[in-house]
Amino acid sequence: MRRRFKLNIDHNSEFGLDLAPLLAVMVKLIPVLLISAAFVQMMIIETDLPQVVQEAIKQQANNANAAHITLEVDKKEGIKIIVNKQGQEKVDVISNLNEQFNYAALYSKLVEIKQAHPEVFKIDLSPDADVAYKDLVLIMDQARKSRSNDIKFKFTDTKTGTEATTDYMFPEVVFSNVMDG
Amino acid sequence: MPRSRYEVPIKKNQSFNLNITSMTDIFTILLVFLLQSYAASEVQIDMVEGLRLPSSSTDKNPIEGVKLSISPTELKFDQVVLAKVQNNQIEQSAIDPRDSNFIQPLFDELKKFNAANEKLAKTGKVLLQADQELPFATLRKVMYTASMAGFPNLKLVTTVGN
Repeated sequence: MRRRFKLNIDHNSEFGLDLAPLLAVMVKLIPVLLISAAFVQMMIIETDLPQVVQEAIKQQANNANAAHITLEVDKKEGIKIIVNKQGQEKVDVISNLNEQFNYAALYSKLVEIKQAHPEVFKIDLSPDADVAYKDLVLIMDQARKSRSNDIKFKFTDTKTGTEATTDYMFPEVVFSNVMDG
Repeated sequence: MPRSRYEVPIKKNQSFNLNITSMTDIFTILLVFLLQSYAASEVQIDMVEGLRLPSSSTDKNPIEGVKLSISPTELKFDQVVLAKVQNNQIEQSAIDPRDSNFIQPLFDELKKFNAANEKLAKTGKVLLQADQELPFATLRKVMYTASMAGFPNLKLVTTVGN
C-alpha cells in the first residue's frame, strides 16, 4: 500500500514581498501628478443658484413693487446702502473703521435689510473709481449668503406656491455704473 | 617593533538587500495626497505672472468662457498681450480717444473671437482674472468693452479664502 504524500507546510515561515515593481510605478506616477497638480485652487464668483432661488429672482424682475437696493462704495466715506421701495428711499451709511471698510457692520445691515425684504435677491453695486478690486470682492462676499445656520430667509416658491427658506441673501450683483459715461 | 595596523575586512563582491518598505509607505501617502488634490475643475485656468487674485468665500468651480486677465503690467486675452498697464492704468494708446472706457484692442480681439467661436460667444461669458490691487476704474474699462463686444456675463476668478 502506497503512503499518501503529505505536503509539509511550515506555518511560521516568512517570505519577502518584492515591492520594487510597485515602487517603480509610484516613482513614475508621482512626478506626473506633481506636474499637473493645482496647488492654488481657483474659484469664480457667479450667480448659478438653486432652481427655486433662480425662479424667485425672475419673479423679482417682474415685480415692480420689489425694493431696489444699491450699494454706493466710496473709499473715504464708506458704504452707502440705498433701499428704494415704491419711490420711498431709505439711506444707511456704513462708515469706515480705521480707514477700512467695516465689513462686519455691512453684513449685519444687509441681514437686516434682507429680513425686511426677503423677496429681493439682487443688489446694484456702484463703486467709486479708486476702490480696489479686493474690497469689491469682500463686499460681494458679505452680501452673498448668511453665515449663520440660524439665519434663514423665507420666500415663496413661485411654482408650488409654498414657503421656502434659503441662506442666500443677495447673490446677484450688478455693477450698475459700468455703462455710465 | 611597530604595531601592525588593523584592517577592516571588506568583501568587495558582497550583495545586500535594501529595505524599501518604508519608502513605499511614503510614496503611497504622497500618491493619495496628490490624487486627492488633483485638479477637480473641468476648466483649466493658468496663473498669470505677477497677478495676485483676491480671496473669496465663493464655492463655484470655474466654467468655460473667454479668458481675460489684467495684471499690474499687462492686459491679456488668453495668452495674447493686448495692452500694457502702468500705475494700475491701461496705457492711453489702447483707449479710444472718443470714449475713455473703451479699449480698442480688446474689442477687436473679442469681435474676432465672436466670429470664430460662435457657440462659446453666444453664452457671453468672460472669466476675468484681475489683480487684487487694481482700482475699479481699470476693471470698469474691461467690463465696459466686454459688454460692448457681446460678453456681459462676467465671472470673477478668485482664490479660495475665508
